[in-house]
Amino acid sequence: MRKNVIYLLARQLCTDAIRSKVMGIASILMVFLLSFSVYSGWENYHDQNNTRDAIQGEVQESWENNPDKHPHRMAHYGSFAIRIKHILSVFDLGMENFVGNAVFLEAHKQNTVNFSEASMSTGLLRFGEVSLAMLLKVIVPLLIFYLGFATIARERENGTLKLLIGQGITRKEIVFGKWLGLWSLSLLFLFTVFIVLLFFVVIESHDVMQAESPFRYSILLVSYILFFGILSAITILVSAFSKTAKGALVKLLGIWLLFVIIVPKSLQAIGYYLYPTPSKIEMETAVEHDLIKQGDSHNPDDPHFKAIKDSVLLANNVEKVADLPFNYGGFIMAKGEALSTKVYLEHQEKLYDVYRKQNNLERYSAFVNPYTAIKNLSTALSGTDFKSFLHFKGKAEAYRFKLAQEMNRLQMDLIPNKGKAGPNIISRDYWKKFPPFEYNFLNTTKVFKNEIISILALFLWGVLGVLGLLRLSTNLKAI
Amino acid sequence: MYKLLFKSFFRTKIFLVSLVLLITVGTVSILIGKQYLVKQEKTIVAAQEFQKESVKRILKYNDKDIGLLLYYLKFTLVKKPANISAISIGQSDVNPLLQAVTIRGLEGQKYDTDFENPSLLMSGNLDLGFVIIYLFPLVLIAMTFNLYSEEKELGTWRILAAQTSKKGKFLFNKLIVRILFVFAIFVFLMFLASGILQIPMNQNFWAIFFHSLLYLLFWSALCLFTVSLLKNSSFNALALISIWVVLTILFPAVVNNYVINKYQVPEALDAMVEQRDGYHEKWDLEKNATMTDFYEAYPQFNHYPVPEDRFSWIWYYGMQHMGDLAAKETSAEMMEKITLRNTISEKVALFVPTMHAQLSFNNLAGTDMVSHLSFLKALTQFHEQLRLNFYPRIFDRKPANSVNWEKHDTKFYIAEYNFSWIYLMLPTFFITIVITFFGLFNLRKL
Repeated sequence: MRKNVIYLLARQLCTDAIRSKVMGIASILMVFLLSFSVYSGWENYHDQNNTRDAIQGEVQESWENNPDKHPHRMAHYGSFAIRIKHILSVFDLGMENFVGNAVFLEAHKQNTVNFSEASMSTGLLRFGEVSLAMLLKVIVPLLIFYLGFATIARERENGTLKLLIGQGITRKEIVFGKWLGLWSLSLLFLFTVFIVLLFFVVIESHDVMQAESPFRYSILLVSYILFFGILSAITILVSAFSKTAKGALVKLLGIWLLFVIIVPKSLQAIGYYLYPTPSKIEMETAVEHDLIKQGDSHNPDDPHFKAIKDSVLLANNVEKVADLPFNYGGFIMAKGEALSTKVYLEHQEKLYDVYRKQNNLERYSAFVNPYTAIKNLSTALSGTDFKSFLHFKGKAEAYRFKLAQEMNRLQMDLIPNKGKAGPNIISRDYWKKFPPFEYNFLNTTKVFKNEIISILALFLWGVLGVLGLLRLSTNLKAI
Repeated sequence: MYKLLFKSFFRTKIFLVSLVLLITVGTVSILIGKQYLVKQEKTIVAAQEFQKESVKRILKYNDKDIGLLLYYLKFTLVKKPANISAISIGQSDVNPLLQAVTIRGLEGQKYDTDFENPSLLMSGNLDLGFVIIYLFPLVLIAMTFNLYSEEKELGTWRILAAQTSKKGKFLFNKLIVRILFVFAIFVFLMFLASGILQIPMNQNFWAIFFHSLLYLLFWSALCLFTVSLLKNSSFNALALISIWVVLTILFPAVVNNYVINKYQVPEALDAMVEQRDGYHEKWDLEKNATMTDFYEAYPQFNHYPVPEDRFSWIWYYGMQHMGDLAAKETSAEMMEKITLRNTISEKVALFVPTMHAQLSFNNLAGTDMVSHLSFLKALTQFHEQLRLNFYPRIFDRKPANSVNWEKHDTKFYIAEYNFSWIYLMLPTFFITIVITFFGLFNLRKL
C-alpha cells in the first residue's frame, strides 16, 4: 500500500463530498443543531446546578439553625439530598431527565427520589432530546451513510473504478483510501463538537468534583473516533457489495433505522415484557411483611423486641429499662432502623436485579449493534447512566442512615430514660457537628468496570471492520 | 386497472416485508399494552389489600389513640385506568397510577413516584401509538419513494408512457393502492387492539382511529409530493428519510428542550423545603403560631382548646397543615409552570402533525400531563375530605371503633375526557390538503 495514493484518494473523497449539496444542507443543519444543543445543554446544566447547589446549602443552613431540641425530632426533621449534574451531561443527557433529582432523608423511611424532569414534562419528551451526543450518535451516522453510500458503488456504475484499477492502483489502496476519506470527513463533525465541549470541561475544571472529567472527555473522544471508523467501514462495505448506489443507500438507511431506532427500543420493550417489575406498593407490602416476620415494633409484646429488651437488661444487670445507663428508646430505634434498612435494601437489590435483567438484553446487543455500545459507553462516561444515578441514591441512603443513627446515638447518650431527672433536649451544637451531605461522582475506574461489555463490543466491531475491509481489498469487483 | 395494480404490488418484496413488519411489531405493541394493563390491575389489587391489611394491623395496637392511629394509616386514591391508555401509554409510566397518603402534610407525599426502570422510561414504550407515529410513515416511504423513479430507472416508464395518456393518473393510482394497503393494516391492528385490550368503541377510540388515518394521509401526501418532483430514487429516499428524521426526532426534541429550559421549575425543590420547614419550625414556636392560622383555615374547630404545656393532636395536625400552607404558593406556581409547558407544546404541535398526533393520542388516552395534574388536584381534595372527616374525631378523642373502617377502602378517581374534533383534526387536515394540492399540481405537468 502506498501512503500517498491512499492520501490522494481520501482527499478526493473529502473534496467531492464537501462540494456536494448534501454536505451543504447537512452543514447548515448541523451548525443550527450544534448551537442549539450547546446553548440548551449549558443553560440546563448551569441553571439547574446553581439552583440545586443553593438549595443544598439552604438545607444545611436550616439544619444547623435548629434550636436545642430532642435528637429524635431532628431525625424527623431530616435532610435532603439533591443530585448534582456532571459537566459532561452537557454533552450526553442520557437518563438525566428521567431520574429524580431530590430525596427527603428522614428516620424510619426510605423516600423516593422525586421531581424528575420527565415527571414535569409533556409527552414530547418521548421524541427524544437534542444533545451534542445525540447529534453524534443519531444524526452524524445518518450523514456518514448519506455521504458515503455512493463511494464505491457509483464509481463502479460509472466505470471509473475499472479505470482506477487499470491505472495500477491496488484494490486495497482504493478501499482504504475511501475509508480514510469518509472517516476523516466524519471526524470533522466530531472534532467540532469536541472542541466546543473542551471549552466546558476547562471552565469547570476548577471544581474538585469534576476533577476526572478531562480523563472522561479523552476516553469519550477516543470511543467516538472508533465508532465513526466502524460506521465508515460499514458504509464502504455496503457500498462495495451493492450492485447500485441506490441499493447501497436503501440498505444503509435500513441499517440506520434498525440499529438506531427500532432494535434498541424493541429490545428494551422485550426485556420489560420478559421480566415484569413489581409496583412500589407491592414491594412496600413485601418489605413490611418481612419486617413484621422479624419483629413488629408496633406490638408491645413482640417476641423479637422483647428478647432484645431482656438481653439488654441482663447484660446491664438492671430490672427496668429506666435503670439502664443509656436511653432505651434511642437504643430500640437504632436497632429498628438497622433492621428495617437492611430489609429494605435487600428488596431494593432484588428490584435492581430485575432492572438489570431487563436492560441486559439491550446491553448485550452491543455485539450486533455498535450503536448500543457507544450509547451505553457515552452515557456512562457522561455520568448520566443508571449506575451513576444509583451511586447518588446509594450515597443519599447511606447519609440518611448515618443521620438517623447519629441522632439515635445522641439520644442514647444524652437523654435520660423515662421517669429519670434530666433535660429532654440537647444543645444545637450537636447539629453543627454533623457533617453536611456531600456528593461525589462515580469513580471513573468503576465506570470502566460497568461498561466492560460496551468497550469490548466496540473494540470487536473495530477489529471486524478492519477485517471486513481487508477481505474486500482482495475481492472487490471492478465491474 | 386497480386489480392489476394490486396484483403487481402484491408481488413486490417490499409488500411482504412491510406486511410482516407492521403486523409483527403492531401485535407486539398491543401485547405490551396488555401487559401494561395487567400490571395496573395487579397494582390496584395490591393497593386494596395493603389498605385492608394495614387498617387491621394498625388498629390492633393503636385502638386507644385515634390520633396516633391516623398518624400511621394510609388512604389510597387510584386513578381509574381506562383500557384505551394501553394504545398510548404516554406519561403514565412516569407518573404514578395511585397515591397512598396519610392525613399528615400532603405536599411531602403528593409527588412520590412509583418504581420504574429509567432505561425503559428513556427508550419509551413500544405502544401502538409509537407504531402508528413512527413505523407506519416509514413503511409508506419505503413503498412509495421509487414509485416513479423505479419505472424510469428500469426503463419501463417509456413503454408505459406510450400506452397511456394519463400518466399522472397512473402514478396516483399506484400510490392509492399502497395507501389502501397501509390503511388496511392499520384498521386491522386497531380492531385487534380493541379486541385484545377490550377497548370500548367510544368517542375516544374513534377519535384516535380517525386522527391516525388523517396522520397517515399526511404522510401519503408528503410521499406524493416528493414523487411528483420526478427525481431519482436516491434523492427521494434521502429526502423522505430526512423529512422523517426532522419531523419525528429533531423538531419535537428541539421544541421539548426549548420548553424545558425556558420554563424551568426550581419551585419543585423550593416547595419541598418550604413544606418541611413550615411544619417543623412550629415545634419550636408558641402554640398560637400554629393555631391562629389553623383556626383561620378551619374556623369550625376553634372551640377545641389547645393545652399550652403539653402535646395535643390538634396542635400536631395543625402543624402538619402549616407545612402545606407554607408551600402552597410555590406549589401552585409549580403547577402553573407545568401547565404552561403543556400549553406551549400543544400550540407548537398544531403546526407539526407528528407532535400533534402524539399529544392528541396521549390526551385521548388520558395519559398526558393534564390528566395527571387533574389527578393531583383530586388527590388534594381527597386529602382534605379525609382530614375534615377525621379531625373532629381526633380532637374529641373518640375511640377508634367509632369509625366505620370498612368504608375507608381504596377510592377511585375517574378522569374526565374532553376534546374537540375541530382542534383534533383541522390542523393536520389543512396541512395535508396543501401538500396534496402541490403534489397533484406537479403531477398534472407529467
